[in-house]
Amino acid sequence: MAKSLLIISRQAPWAGPSAREALDIALAGGAFDLPLGMLFLDDGVFQLASGQQPAQVQQKNLAANLQALPMFGVEELFAAASSLHERGLAADSLSLPVQVLDDAALAALIDRFDQVVTL
Amino acid sequence: MKFAIAVFSPAHAPSSRRALRFAQAALAGGHEIVRLFFYQDGVHSASANVVAPQDEVDVAAQWRAFISEQQLDAVVCIAAALRRGVLNAEEAQRYQRPAVNLPAPWELSGLGQLHEGAQSADRLICFGGD
Amino acid sequence: MSTLHVISHSPFGDNRLSSCLRLLGSQDGLLLCGDAVYALQPGSEPLASLQARQLQGRLFALEEDLQARAIVADDCVRAIDYPAFVALSLDYDKVNSWL
Repeated sequence: MAKSLLIISRQAPWAGPSAREALDIALAGGAFDLPLGMLFLDDGVFQLASGQQPAQVQQKNLAANLQALPMFGVEELFAAASSLHERGLAADSLSLPVQVLDDAALAALIDRFDQVVTL
Repeated sequence: MKFAIAVFSPAHAPSSRRALRFAQAALAGGHEIVRLFFYQDGVHSASANVVAPQDEVDVAAQWRAFISEQQLDAVVCIAAALRRGVLNAEEAQRYQRPAVNLPAPWELSGLGQLHEGAQSADRLICFGGD
Repeated sequence: MSTLHVISHSPFGDNRLSSCLRLLGSQDGLLLCGDAVYALQPGSEPLASLQARQLQGRLFALEEDLQARAIVADDCVRAIDYPAFVALSLDYDKVNSWL
């Protein structure tokens, strides 16, 4: 049976290639039909803010690629409640359908995956 | 036990050296390393062009020697490498770039190799960030 | 399932340690290496936080990093070498490095 992998993305969207390179791990795994989950934590939740204009800083549309995750079979998408709250982001204003988890639920989430990568 | 070790930082970062020490200890402990995967700035740990000051530890050279001596499967992520200017002969030719800085024993491949290594290992351990 | 969390950034001016402690499970371990061992600096707020968490038997630090920085390990932490790091990675079900 395939090992499940949780990818925790902690970087803001335009802070260099980290957000995209975390997403690429998820998309590659999805292409191989691996059981994956993706958690947006700390500044990673800024990737989910609506109405961003990446073209202004000559960046590609990360939100569009994030929205492709379910098409690649990655449907388990999560965001940390505390990270959203600290940053003034409302759960119902996000650009991606994610499950919002409190700290205890985050611990339980990490627990149920076989492997974790946090970038 | 089987380890897949992923390195996310360049040769001059403490975490690259730490990854190497961990890998050495894993083999010394009788374990197997099924894959080494170099991603993000970890591609620079594979650069043949790193010139460490004479009185400093040459982590890039130590990685090369370790991988060759132990005949380990060492993969550098091609997308991450291209973006950062780490090219083997084939890619330098393809993109008409003036320099080749990724020789053997390194192989350029995709993220599928990270997943394959993780799937076949008992533990996936990542090093990077600092 | 238990996770060994590994942190290598200094807690001063970085939020990895505090974020990790928020979601640290009751069976999870925490290994401090690199500049993260500054969290064990005597008299510091991070050390006080770690002591308050009562992580007996679940808090580790890489010996070489403590020595390099002249930090004397508190009783609450176990200093380890690389062979012990390898063994630790197998004692826990998985390793989560906060890159």
